[in-house]
Amino acid sequence: MPRKTNGVGVQAEDAQICVVMVGLPARGKSYIAQKAQRYLRWLSIPARTFNVGNYRRTDAPQPTADFFDMNNAEGERKRRAAAEAAVADMLQWFKSGGVVGILDATNSTKERRQWVMDTISKEGIEVIFVESKCDDEALIMGNIRDVKTTSPDYKGQDPETAALDFRNRIRNYEKIYKSINEDGDENDYTYLKVMDVGKQVIINRIQDYLQSRIVYYLINLHIRPRSVWLSRHGESMLNLEGRIGGDAALSYRGEEYARKLPDLVRQSVGDDRPLTVWTSTLKRTIATARHLPKHYNQLQWKALDELDAGVCDGLTYQEIKDRYPDDFAARDDDKYNYRYRGGESYRDVVIRLEPIIMELERSEDILIISHQAVIRCIYAYFMQKDQEDSPWLPVPLHTLIKLTPRAYGTDEEKTSANIKAVSTWRGKGSTAKHEDPVPEGGI
Amino acid sequence: MAEADIQTTLCRPEIGDALNVDETDQNRTAEIAANAPRYRRKSSTFIDGIHDVAEDQGDMAPAQLYSTMSGRLFHSGRIAIVMVGLPARGKTHICVSMARYLAWLGVKTRIFHLGDYRRATVGKGGQVPEDYFFPNASPSSVILRQKILKKCREDIYAWLNHENGQVAIYDAVNPTASSRRALAKEFAKHDVQTLFLESYVDDESILRENARNVKINSPDFVGMDPDEAAKLYLKRIDMKIPVFETMNENELNYVKMINAGQAFFYNNVSFNYLSHRIVFYLTNLHIKSRTTFFARAGPADEDSYKADGPLSEEGRVYAQKVAETLIKHREQERQAHIKHAGEEVPLRPLTVWTSTRLRTIQTAEPLKDMGYKVRQRSQMSQINPGVCEKMSERMIRALYPDEVEKHELDPYHHRYPRAESYHDLAVRLEPIILELEREQNDLLIIAHESVLRVLYAYLMHCSTMDIPKLKFPRDQIIEIIPAAYQNEAKQIHVTGLDPKCVPGSPEDIRIPVPSGPPSGNLSPIPGMASPAEMEEPPARPPVIVVNTAKEMVADKVADED
Repeated sequence: MPRKTNGVGVQAEDAQICVVMVGLPARGKSYIAQKAQRYLRWLSIPARTFNVGNYRRTDAPQPTADFFDMNNAEGERKRRAAAEAAVADMLQWFKSGGVVGILDATNSTKERRQWVMDTISKEGIEVIFVESKCDDEALIMGNIRDVKTTSPDYKGQDPETAALDFRNRIRNYEKIYKSINEDGDENDYTYLKVMDVGKQVIINRIQDYLQSRIVYYLINLHIRPRSVWLSRHGESMLNLEGRIGGDAALSYRGEEYARKLPDLVRQSVGDDRPLTVWTSTLKRTIATARHLPKHYNQLQWKALDELDAGVCDGLTYQEIKDRYPDDFAARDDDKYNYRYRGGESYRDVVIRLEPIIMELERSEDILIISHQAVIRCIYAYFMQKDQEDSPWLPVPLHTLIKLTPRAYGTDEEKTSANIKAVSTWRGKGSTAKHEDPVPEGGI
Repeated sequence: MAEADIQTTLCRPEIGDALNVDETDQNRTAEIAANAPRYRRKSSTFIDGIHDVAEDQGDMAPAQLYSTMSGRLFHSGRIAIVMVGLPARGKTHICVSMARYLAWLGVKTRIFHLGDYRRATVGKGGQVPEDYFFPNASPSSVILRQKILKKCREDIYAWLNHENGQVAIYDAVNPTASSRRALAKEFAKHDVQTLFLESYVDDESILRENARNVKINSPDFVGMDPDEAAKLYLKRIDMKIPVFETMNENELNYVKMINAGQAFFYNNVSFNYLSHRIVFYLTNLHIKSRTTFFARAGPADEDSYKADGPLSEEGRVYAQKVAETLIKHREQERQAHIKHAGEEVPLRPLTVWTSTRLRTIQTAEPLKDMGYKVRQRSQMSQINPGVCEKMSERMIRALYPDEVEKHELDPYHHRYPRAESYHDLAVRLEPIILELEREQNDLLIIAHESVLRVLYAYLMHCSTMDIPKLKFPRDQIIEIIPAAYQNEAKQIHVTGLDPKCVPGSPEDIRIPVPSGPPSGNLSPIPGMASPAEMEEPPARPPVIVVNTAKEMVADKVADED
């Protein structure tokens, strides 16, 4: 197999993986693909999804169910052409340094999988099939109504007609669908088969670490509806002085926020169902959570503690600039990678948050009360923010953020408690104690 | 010997040297493990510490990211991992590897081998009744079985409830669905979550290989054709344990590992983060045994982290000697094996890993020229010295007195300005550790001393206090041999080196390390006399440092659990 070399030997890190989705329509394939892409990018691994449906739409924008009938030669030709175009683009992308490419299509026949396997592995790229298999009719219809009727295929059409047409489209696929290794003759493939939304899982022939890592993430996913609420702690005494880090108590206004938080949360949740509350181990987040209802389960995570500013802990930005001018400049230059002396960088925080993200994916409704840098990283994960931007996101105090993951992205809802607080946002180069964020519509 | 006496004896560091471990101590290991709940303490970095119980509960594990008041991590409660599978399915190997990984992450993990309890109950040389595993066993056998199970389970509860344990691995056959259901219920009553882990093998070649590996030393099979012996052994298992039901219980959490990791099936009722993490680890594990060698990178003229200079002249000589020594050693081992087992064995393939630093790549060059596969891993770059680069200890002390003070308090976690700590390094090496488990060939790792320290600590389960002090002089290659019960370390002497390049590597980061208590065992070469006045030091034979588990492994010949 052709592999890159660096002149002094063969690199091992050059493993390139193509994740090939398998499954009938409305089984959450795009959802899985999109989540995997976001997770890998968050971990700094170049990843990209190639959706065959998008390629097909350029040729056949709003086809009816007959288009997907296996006896429709015209439809079959166009769908095949779309798949070929998507794969060609993906291979091109791999040549330019892509690491994990995700081919989002039904790939529901053995012949198609064989073709994908041959075409991609010929280029020295590993193939892992990921199948989502589900026979729960209620779940499928729910998915169709939620996602498919709003798809570009049905733009401007009556939702009920659209749902019906889509159900018929699925039936056309069902006629030819073969679950992976159903006949036992695809046993040589590397694959992950997830049945009934993770209740049962089969993993076959994992070949390397990165594959195992992807599989590990995917088996933590679920598609039950839920939301994640994020809040910073109430304003602290050190916030008032414009000092970073520390382990200070809440200010008077911070206390007010803590008292108001239960109402704010209840309104946002909409009913009395209990949330699980995660705080850091620092005083200010624990104090902020302390008035929440007794039936909310509360947990403290060390991993949710604020970014450790090392020698700069407890200083103002002006003091940092005076004492460590090089550091101050270096941090502004590359805030994501800059590591405080004896402390952490944003990258370090992302690494330590990995178990939190994994646990979040596994859990249902969670309220996280944490700190500016940590919330930025978690927010960047859900909203797919770039590494260059995420350390600069404004996350105002005394504001509750509700994130609801959907099939094609995450919905965001922001509620201010209307309790005044200082701003802790800081623009590049600035040493101001309290500065208004540049209005740019971030958080 | 009274129980208390055994403990103090095992605590004595000189015993840990283990070249002269008292015979009676070795013979009693199983009994101690079963009867003395306070267990063996770590006494030397040369002994695989995986079965030891840490003395200091507050100690952080090498790759632990955070700590909690309860001592339990990942917000998982108490978990019992219950092994399922017939003998010769690699269960013990899976248990030990899994425990090693979890402990590395900071999860308090202990293995409870039911076999230890059975042996301790029936006594040395004793046998369980023929019908011990039969579904229609006689009342006396049933009572014996219950008694053994009860003792083991009580120890599990005691450890989870009173010693802050988090994951108890219960290593037994657990052959029937009804017994497994009862077990899960029993654990649930004690607020312990149960995860079953079955090792299921239907591939004949894997079964035969496992049987041959474990049973080869049994006197029962002496002089027999190894294939015949393996067959006979497997037949005996079938007779002893006539009923075995593979897992199919829909209401239980289980993972079925099929044919040593080729495939996994799992039934997920209520998996938590930790369960998934275990599956993640298992997807990288295989149960074939292979050896790992550690060698330092050769010295460079320009000893700087930033410069990444090439090997010096002595370094080139060193690289050649390492290659020759290793190849000679592997061939000798093969010959010894042939002599012992009376069968022709091929040499296992060898892969070489280096970092992306020039010195490590060049140290591997002689082997590459001989046709061995060399892979570079960027994660294996040496620890970043930060501001301490090229500074003498005196200078660091003068410039950063506060940092030195902090460093001496916690040399494992402390970072000098701009530097990495050993903890950072350990976290960064996680992918390497999983690939290490994944590798099927024999493996030579050529790396900087700091990287060898961390990888060695994973394989031999060293404490964070010891890791920064481990020494890997260039005149030896360390070989780690996996055994069913614990790993063994062996030193292979490299002769004919320029004495200048052997010890206290000049290119090492000069982060001062406190001298620590004179335990005497931290250097992997006992009695490393400076060979300066000798022209050519005599070749030393390879030294097996310790194998306290030998008795355990031998005993496994008759082991049906």
